[in-house]
Amino acid sequence: MRTPHLNLTRRGLVRAGTGSLLVPFSLASGKAPAQGGRKPFDGVTLNISCWSATYPTLLGQYLPEFTERTGIKVNYDTPGFPVYNQRADLELSTKGSGYDVLNVTFIFTSRWIGAGWMTPLDGFLNDPNKTPADWDAADLLAGSVAPMRDKKGAIYGIPWISDVLMAASSRFDLLKAEGLGMPDTFDELDRAMALINKKDNVAAYIVENHWGWTFIPFLQGFGGSIFRNAPDDLMPTLNTPEVAQAAEFFAKLVNSYGPQAAAGYTYDQVNEAMRAGRTNYSPMNHAFAALLGAEGSKVTATSNFSMLPKGPKGRFPGVASHGWGIPIGAKNKDASWEFIKWSMSKELVGRMVERHGLGSVTRTSLLNSPAYKGRMVINGVDTGKMFLDSIALSETGYMKYRTVHVYPQVNAQINQAISSVVSGQMKAKEAFALAQANAIADLKRAGVRL
Amino acid sequence: MAASRSRVGWFTRHRNRVGDGFTIVLLLVVLFPFGWLVQMSFRPNADIFGYDLLFNPTFAHYKALWAGAFPASFVNSIITSVASTVLALVLGVPASYALSRGAFRSSRGIALWILATRMAPPIAFTIPFFLAYRFLGLSDTLIGLIIVYLTFNLALVIWMMQPYFDSVPRELEEAAWIDGCGVWEAFWRVTLPLSAPGLAATAVICFILSWNDFFYALVLTRTNASTAPVAIVNFIQYTGWEWGRIAAAGTMVMLPVVLFSMLVRNYLVRGLAAGGVKE
Amino acid sequence: MTGWDAQRRHAFQLGLAPALLVLALITIAPAIYLVLTSLTPLNLTLPESAWDFSTPLANYSDLLDDPRFSRSAWVQAKLSMATVIAQLLIGLGVALLLNGGGKVRQFARSGFLIPMVLPPIVVGLLWRVMYAVDISPFHRLMEFIGLPVGSLITNPNLALTAIVIAETWEWFPFTMLMVLAALQMVPAAPIEAARIDGANDWQMFRYVIFPYIQQTLVVAGIFRLIDSIKAFPLIFVLTDGGPGDVTQVTNYYAYRQAFTFSLWGYGSAIATLMVVGIFVLSWAIDRLTGTPRAGAR
Repeated sequence: MRTPHLNLTRRGLVRAGTGSLLVPFSLASGKAPAQGGRKPFDGVTLNISCWSATYPTLLGQYLPEFTERTGIKVNYDTPGFPVYNQRADLELSTKGSGYDVLNVTFIFTSRWIGAGWMTPLDGFLNDPNKTPADWDAADLLAGSVAPMRDKKGAIYGIPWISDVLMAASSRFDLLKAEGLGMPDTFDELDRAMALINKKDNVAAYIVENHWGWTFIPFLQGFGGSIFRNAPDDLMPTLNTPEVAQAAEFFAKLVNSYGPQAAAGYTYDQVNEAMRAGRTNYSPMNHAFAALLGAEGSKVTATSNFSMLPKGPKGRFPGVASHGWGIPIGAKNKDASWEFIKWSMSKELVGRMVERHGLGSVTRTSLLNSPAYKGRMVINGVDTGKMFLDSIALSETGYMKYRTVHVYPQVNAQINQAISSVVSGQMKAKEAFALAQANAIADLKRAGVRL
Repeated sequence: MAASRSRVGWFTRHRNRVGDGFTIVLLLVVLFPFGWLVQMSFRPNADIFGYDLLFNPTFAHYKALWAGAFPASFVNSIITSVASTVLALVLGVPASYALSRGAFRSSRGIALWILATRMAPPIAFTIPFFLAYRFLGLSDTLIGLIIVYLTFNLALVIWMMQPYFDSVPRELEEAAWIDGCGVWEAFWRVTLPLSAPGLAATAVICFILSWNDFFYALVLTRTNASTAPVAIVNFIQYTGWEWGRIAAAGTMVMLPVVLFSMLVRNYLVRGLAAGGVKE
Repeated sequence: MTGWDAQRRHAFQLGLAPALLVLALITIAPAIYLVLTSLTPLNLTLPESAWDFSTPLANYSDLLDDPRFSRSAWVQAKLSMATVIAQLLIGLGVALLLNGGGKVRQFARSGFLIPMVLPPIVVGLLWRVMYAVDISPFHRLMEFIGLPVGSLITNPNLALTAIVIAETWEWFPFTMLMVLAALQMVPAAPIEAARIDGANDWQMFRYVIFPYIQQTLVVAGIFRLIDSIKAFPLIFVLTDGGPGDVTQVTNYYAYRQAFTFSLWGYGSAIATLMVVGIFVLSWAIDRLTGTPRAGAR
C-alpha cells in the first residue's frame, strides 16, 4: 500500500530516471522544499516493507499522520509472507539501501542479526535526544524482545508482535448442535471435524499453507521434534515415526475436512474464508483470529476460540515474534528510527487496539489495559487469556528450533514434505525421509557441523 | 461439367470459406484468455468475476493504478528499454557493419559467440551480475539494468543488422569512397539510409525484449528501479488479490509491446530466431 | 591502394572494437565469475566463503548426489519434450491453415502473433486467471457442461500439464511464423505437378511440402527446446515450482538455491552445468541433423 502521490515534477522524473544515484544524494543533503519546512525531516522519503500481517496492514492507514507530523513520505509495501522474506533476505544480503525499515522476521532473526545485516538500536534507545523517556522501551515484553537480541544482548529489532497459534471456530453453533465443545485433543478434533463437515455447506477445517508454521504444533504434539536438541545439536530429526504420524494426521484434516483446493489457501485467503463463514475451524494466528470479531466479519456472533488442541505428548502452540529493524545499509537511520518510534508508540498502538481490535500487542501496559482486555473478549470468549497462557507455555522452550539460524532451510523442507503428503504425491514416511536427507544436505552446505 | 461438379463435395467447393471460418473461430479461441484479462480490467470490482458480456465499464482500476506507485515503475520500464536499445544500437550497428564489410577471419567465431550468448540461460548471468552489483553498488539501479540488458540486445543488433548491410551493394559505398569519403562517412551517408527499415525493426525488437524482461528486473531491482512487469507481481503477492488492478496493470504493460509488434511483425522471426533462418 | 586498404581495415577494427569490448565485459567476465563461484561454498552470511577454494569440486559432487537436481532435470526433460512437440505440431497446423488463403487469413496472422509478444509475466497472469477455479471462465464452463474439473495447478499430476498448455499457447506463434516463412519458399512447380497428378491433401503435404519445410521444423524445434529450458515467469506465477517439486525445472531449482536460500556457490554450479548442457545439446542436435552452421553464407 503506498501513500498516493503523483510525482511527475521534473525532480520526480529525474529521480526516477537516474535511480539510486540521486536518491541518497538528496536524502543526505536533506534538501527541503521551499515552503515552511519546519519539520525536521522534510523532503525525506523512506522505503518500508513488512509482510501482510494485521498490524502492518492497519499501519498503512495511519501513514498520512506520520507524514503530517514529521514530513517524511513513506513508500510502503506489504507483500505476502514468503515473498517478503525472500526479498528482504536478498536485499539485506546486498547490504544495500533499497529499504530503510524492514520487518525482522522471526525465523530470520538469527541469520540477519548474526550476519551483521541489521543496525544495532541501543544507540537510538539510550539517547534521550533520539528517544524521549516516555516512549518507555522497558514497557516492551521481554520475551518479545529476546529474539531480537544478538549473543551479547544488543537489540536489533523493536517487536511489534508476539503471535500465538490458537484455534478459532467461525460457526461454533454447528459444533454446539452436535453437542460438541471446542476440541481439546487431537482425537476430539478429528471426531468433531468428521461430524460437522459440510453441515450447512460449511467446510469443517482449513489451515494456511505455511506448513512450516502450522504443522509444527502437531509434529511436537505427537512427540516429534525438528532438531535433536536446538540450538546446540542441530541434527534434524524429521524422519522419526512420530513425525510421519503427525503428517498423516495433518494431511487427513486438510484433505478430508477442507474445502476445494484447501492446500492452496494462504493466510489471507483463510482469513477471508473464516470471516465469511465458509470454513468453520482453523488453527490461526491470534492476530488473525481476532479479525473474526472485527468490523467486516460476518461471524462475530457465532465465533468461538480455544488454545490449540493437545496431542498425546502435550500442547505446543506456536509463538513467533516479529519486529521493526533498520538495515545496515539504510541511508538515513535517524529518519528510520523516527518511523519505528512512531509506529510502536503507546499512543498509536493503543488507538489501533481500541478502534480496530488489534490483537498483536507487545507492550505490557497495553496488554493490561481495560481497552485491550475488553477488545480481546470476542463473543464472550477471552482470547486475551488464551494468548497469554500460550505464551506462558512457550517459555518451556519448545520454540527454540525456530530461531536457529538455519531453520529457514528446514522450514522449506517441511513445507515441501507436507505439500507432497497433502497432495497425495508421497506417503508421509517417504516425504519426510526425503526432507531429512535434504535438510542435512542443506545444513551442511550452509556450513553447519552435524 | 455439371456432372464433375456434383462429384466434388460441398466441403471441397467451399474449402476456402470453411477455412476462413475455422481460422476465425480458432483465432477467437486462442485470443480468449488475452481478451478475458483485458475485459477484467474494465469491470467494476463488485462484478469482477462475472460472465455477462454487458457491463458498465469503469476506469476505476486504471485510476487507482495511476495514483499508486505503478507509474514510477512504468517510467522505469520506458527508460531502461529506450536506453538499452539506444546503447545497443550505438555499439552494435558499427560493429555489425564492420563484420559485414571487414572480412575478418574471426567473424565466424564471433558469430558463434553471439549465438552462444543468445542460448545461455539468464540464470547464468543473474548470479554473477547480482553478486558483482552488490560490490559495485549498482543493485537496484536503472543503470545496472541497462547494462544487463546489453547482454541480449547487443548481440541481437549485431546479428540482425548484418544481413541488411550485406544486402547493400558494395558499389555504392565504393563510389562514395572514390569521391573521398571516409569509411564511416560513407556508411552514414549511403549504407545507413538504405538499411533504415532494418534498423527500425531491430530497434523495436530490442525495445520489446527489454520491456518484456522479468527475471533480471526481479532479481536486480528492489524499490527504486523496479520495472512494470515486476510491479505487477507485487499486486499478485499482496493480500486482497486486487484482480481489477492486476488486469489493468497487465493491460497497460502489454499495450506498447503489442502495438510495436504489429508494426514489425514481418521482422519478428529473424529477430527471435537470431539465425538459422534461411533468408 | 594498400594505404587505403590499411586505413579501411583500421576503420573497421575501430567500429568493431567497442562492441566486442563491451560484449566481452558483460558475457565473458560474468561467465568466468560464475564458474569461479561454483568452486566455492559462497554463502553471503559468511563473507570468507567467497574465496574458499579448499574443496573446489564439492558443489559438483553434491549435485551428482542431489536427488532434487536429478528430479529437476527429469521435470525439465518432460516439460521440454511435451511443449516443443506441441508447439511444432500446432505451429505447423496453423501455418498450413494460414498459408495462401485470402485477406481473412492474412489478417489472422497478426492476431495469432499476440501470445508470443505479450510480456511473459502477463501471460503468466492470464493463465493464473484461467487456472483459478473460483474465477476462471474455463472451469465455469466445464462445470456448466457437467464435467467439473478440479484445480490443475495444485494437482501434482496435472500441474506440469497446465504449464505445458500455457507455454505452448505462448510460443506456438514462433514455429507458426517460421513454418509460414518456409512454406512461402516452397516452389510452385512441384505443387502444381502433384495437383495435376491428382494428389490429395495428405499426399501433397507428406511428399511434396514436408521435405521443403523439414529443415525449418528442426531449426524451430532446436530454438524452442533451448528456450524451454529458460522457462521462468510461468512457473514463478503459476506454481512456484510446486506442488512439492513437480514443476521445479532445473532453472527454477537454481533460482531457488541462489536467490531464496542464498547458496550462491551451489546455485552457480547448477547454472554452470546448465550452460554446458545446453551447449552440448545444441552441438549434438546440430551434428545429428546437419543443420547449416550459423554464419556460413
